[in-house]
Amino acid sequence: MRSLWQLIYRYHIFLVFLILEVLAIALLVRNNNYQRATFVHSANKITGNLYEKRTEIAEYLKLQSINAELAKENARLRTVSQPNYQQLTDDLYMYEDTLYLLRYEYISGRVINNSVNRPNNFITIDKGSTNGIQKEMGVVSKGSIVGIVKDVSDNFASVMPLINTNMSVGVRLKRSGETGEVTWDGRDPSKVLVNYISRSANPLKGDTIITSGFSTYFPEGILVGTIEDFRIPEGENFYTIDLLLSTPFHQLSYIEVIHNLLSDEQLELEQKQEGQDGG
Amino acid sequence: MGGEIIRNVLRLTFLILIQGLIVNRLDLWQGYILPSVYIFGLLMLPITTPRIMYMVIGFIAGACVDMFTNTLGIHASACVFMGFIQPLFLRFLAPREGYEVGQRPTLQDLGIGWYITYAGILALVHHTWLFFIELMRFTPFFYTLGKVLLSTLATLVLMVLGQYLIYSPSDRRKK
Repeated sequence: MRSLWQLIYRYHIFLVFLILEVLAIALLVRNNNYQRATFVHSANKITGNLYEKRTEIAEYLKLQSINAELAKENARLRTVSQPNYQQLTDDLYMYEDTLYLLRYEYISGRVINNSVNRPNNFITIDKGSTNGIQKEMGVVSKGSIVGIVKDVSDNFASVMPLINTNMSVGVRLKRSGETGEVTWDGRDPSKVLVNYISRSANPLKGDTIITSGFSTYFPEGILVGTIEDFRIPEGENFYTIDLLLSTPFHQLSYIEVIHNLLSDEQLELEQKQEGQDGG
Repeated sequence: MGGEIIRNVLRLTFLILIQGLIVNRLDLWQGYILPSVYIFGLLMLPITTPRIMYMVIGFIAGACVDMFTNTLGIHASACVFMGFIQPLFLRFLAPREGYEVGQRPTLQDLGIGWYITYAGILALVHHTWLFFIELMRFTPFFYTLGKVLLSTLATLVLMVLGQYLIYSPSDRRKK
């Protein structure tokens, strides 16, 4: 017994080293599954509030360009607002529209922390469960894709952007409709890769890529980017496309979170189908 | 002694805030260069610190930085590894007659050659661990290697410049 203690004493520093490393790596692996311990998370109170303070200062310094941005947005909204439309009929008014069902709702928010220089970037926004944000909601900015909500606290939410190596989104070619999948290789935050676009497609440089609308996160037709270059790797049946992102991840400030009102219905039906196939 | 502890805690807290709120936002060369200035606080720990404390303090400091970047465990593990090496390295670099009482591991106390060896190699160890763990694979090997070397250089330059700005030589004589 005594010699065991002596042994432990002799190597106690190395043991402490091993224990701390195992602890750190365990935290890291847990992290990778996105089941993050919520108590040490950027959506938590302390860092969330610190980030908000910093954003306030930074925004004060950026007021001029934000003003310009808002003015542009105002102008765009004014052109589509109701007084600009001519009334076509005088006598028919629908109280409850049965032809059109509202499917997507948008909740606006502000980015309070944003990283672009790591392989696994995250964005923190200033809206949380009290504002109706839930996990797995899509996030867009001025009509182009940003990411998916991964974690929500009372007043903050963290978003996994497209420029995160663990993220992938279903997309399609706008011109011809072939579907594929977008992933990021962790290098340049202004470029992503599109895979699984079938050989029969005929992409051109400059073509637009949009979301496919198959998943419950995004409606169809949200802008993803434009084709910069494409090739078919030897021995494969799919194109690999270099895509120039249309979202400027460097300078995100205002975003919109998409609430899909019919997502539960879609998921339920799809799960039922999968269950039947499995049985 | 108590003053020394408080000074080290304050210095680390300040550096972690600088790292989390400012340095991580610096977009040097599209984020290719990412200095970790907070390790200056770990390198400044007194020479007489117990070996275990280097790792424990490193773990806590690293975990705090991780909270800012949502990368729980990455900085912590890099700092623990650095804390494991640090005392061995300090002993290896010791002058022949040993460190003087009250000597601090700074540029002013031990000279620029000594400091660049000490801080440079430990920062390199830290950054190598950090960036390779962060990617969890070796595929873009030279890409990551370049990132490690350039970021280490940036960290080292910031630390050396910072010391010239903050600690004047007369500061030491007063102590």
